Amino acid sequence: MFPALRLSVVLGLALVLASLPACSKKSEKIKIGVVTNCTAEFWSLAEAGANKAAQEADVELQFRQLEKDFDASAQMPIIDSWVKQGVGGIAVSVIDPKNQTEDLTRIAKKVPLITMDNDADQTGRLCYIGIDNYEAGKAVGRLVKKSLPKGGTVAIFIGSTKSANGKARTQGVLDELAGQKDATGTAAAHPTNADLKGKQFGQFFLVDGEAKEDGSPNNAQPLAAAVLARVKGLPDVCLVGLYAYNPPAILEEARSKSMLKDVKIIGFDEAWVTLKGIADGEIVATVVQDPFMYGYKSVEALAAKAKGDDSKLVKEPIPYRVVTKDGGPDETVNGMVVKFPKVADFEAKLRADLASVKK
Amino acid sequence: MTRILGVLGLLVVLYTTLITSHPKAGEPDNLISVANLQGRFGIITLGAALVIIVGGIDLSIGAVVGCSAVLFGVLMNKGVHPFAAVPIVILFGATVGLTNGSLITRLKLQPFLVTLCGMFVFRGFARLLGGTLGQASVIEGHPEYKDPIRTLRHLLIGKDPIDGELIFPAQFILLIVLAGLVGFFLHRTAYGRYWYAIGHSELAAKYAGVNVSRQRVVIYVVCSALAALTGVLLFLDAPSVQSDNAGFSWELYAILGAVLGGCSLRGGEGTAVGMVLGAMVLPVLESLVNFRGDASDVIPVVIGLTLLIGAIVDELIRQRSRIHR
Repeated sequence: MFPALRLSVVLGLALVLASLPACSKKSEKIKIGVVTNCTAEFWSLAEAGANKAAQEADVELQFRQLEKDFDASAQMPIIDSWVKQGVGGIAVSVIDPKNQTEDLTRIAKKVPLITMDNDADQTGRLCYIGIDNYEAGKAVGRLVKKSLPKGGTVAIFIGSTKSANGKARTQGVLDELAGQKDATGTAAAHPTNADLKGKQFGQFFLVDGEAKEDGSPNNAQPLAAAVLARVKGLPDVCLVGLYAYNPPAILEEARSKSMLKDVKIIGFDEAWVTLKGIADGEIVATVVQDPFMYGYKSVEALAAKAKGDDSKLVKEPIPYRVVTKDGGPDETVNGMVVKFPKVADFEAKLRADLASVKK
Repeated sequence: MTRILGVLGLLVVLYTTLITSHPKAGEPDNLISVANLQGRFGIITLGAALVIIVGGIDLSIGAVVGCSAVLFGVLMNKGVHPFAAVPIVILFGATVGLTNGSLITRLKLQPFLVTLCGMFVFRGFARLLGGTLGQASVIEGHPEYKDPIRTLRHLLIGKDPIDGELIFPAQFILLIVLAGLVGFFLHRTAYGRYWYAIGHSELAAKYAGVNVSRQRVVIYVVCSALAALTGVLLFLDAPSVQSDNAGFSWELYAILGAVLGGCSLRGGEGTAVGMVLGAMVLPVLESLVNFRGDASDVIPVVIGLTLLIGAIVDELIRQRSRIHR
């Protein structure tokens, strides 16, 4: 027994000593926590922006991309542990606004809290950093209408229809297609394929009558494959991916089924594959947020707040942009100036932003 | 004693590292949070460990947790009172266990296969039942359930009924009570001796007059009922549960806890104290990586390597113990 105990103690001590370098990195700097709703390339861009702001403001950053996608029960323990650590501020991409409101309200009373990408406006958060998702959804709807001027078959893919951004984006697309506010569509069979059930929104038939929710990047490709198989052979088909990982998944499946020429793809966010798809003429366009700026502004605002400065809190939605192969002139939509950057220019700027972050 | 020495040493190291990692990490409110998570994982670990002791495996635990959590929300949405919904959900779990156990003992199917199929089936059931459910959405539809839900949350999770602040580790207390019961049956009654005997040698147990099939079915019922109870706890603790994610891969956490706690996957070995200690490891580790502020990309590596080192230390201790015996 005693040799075993000795061995245990020695190894225990060795492990404790091995962990000391990690402890010694502890600093007296203000600590800011940022937690996302899933792990995705989109959030890597936000992380780069957050790192840049942390370097500039000289604060310590803890950036967590949620390992369990869209799982609010996995997100809250991370936030709680930061509150216990006494961080100077927390930015969160809310997963389930309704059910997280109670916890986030409690947290907002203890720590400066801002929401980004996905809002929960009843929590007492200091500000929301993100686009107007409903307007961005309408921009997607306009792109669909432009791609299929005579109407056609549409399928919408999204990670979550429960999140505030998911709901708003989807409703924006549907309202634009139907030409009315709060459109719910009319249940119908497809005009040329009675086996395909869905809903009619104006001139557009929505496959299954609702956005296809995948719940995780891992499910995006199989879901796209299943829908592509069902719409194969139909004319005027447009597939819309509303979360960053959806357009690459649609593109990959359309390519593998040799359907690239048969379908129009419209994306959301700036995944590298999406941008390359636009440059290659395989994707019509993508409506982009600015994840780099989300990360940057979240940390900038919280770092300033921790130092008693409220001036960096964001008061207006961040404008969305529409990236196309050739770009185009600015347009004013509902009083907001919308830019139409050329994909090559947009990608170059994005890479420059990333390169500007010191490792 | 030797069997739990390794996991005890690992826990000492992890707690020491956690407490020295940050001035706030050792404060009671963080330790209560960690204990609560240990309680939740511990309850499924008890079930998994019992199944392992009788020489079986249950891969459906995580899916049963998820399905039960969703079922609990759906029942309340349909107008079932929260106090009535809890036993219904646990009964559902027991039925799952009865089905698993019967398929394994009557049809002589492999436990791995039966429970793997169960994993898919109950995850699918969870999806069919509903997408995302939470206390706020239930209360919105049934405002009269607000007080019963808050009462359950207070009693079973330890959260303040008003603002949801965690004030005591009710899940850990529940684990200790349940572990006490499991320990009593395992170490103080003939049933425990039957279970060890079945795990060591099913044939020998059968010749000794043990009703192997009945005992196995009972264990699977207990395991799935505990998983269902954990589903209820998850619903009461989490802001919301999602049918795709709730309890996802928790069967592996439960099996890991059981093995770290001294259960042999060959069956016939394990103690109630070991089960509790084994289940305590992962939550401390998760709190540690949160407090250290490790980058997202590094966390799975840190967790995996620490558990591997723990397992190696444990094995070395056992080998040395055998040499010195």
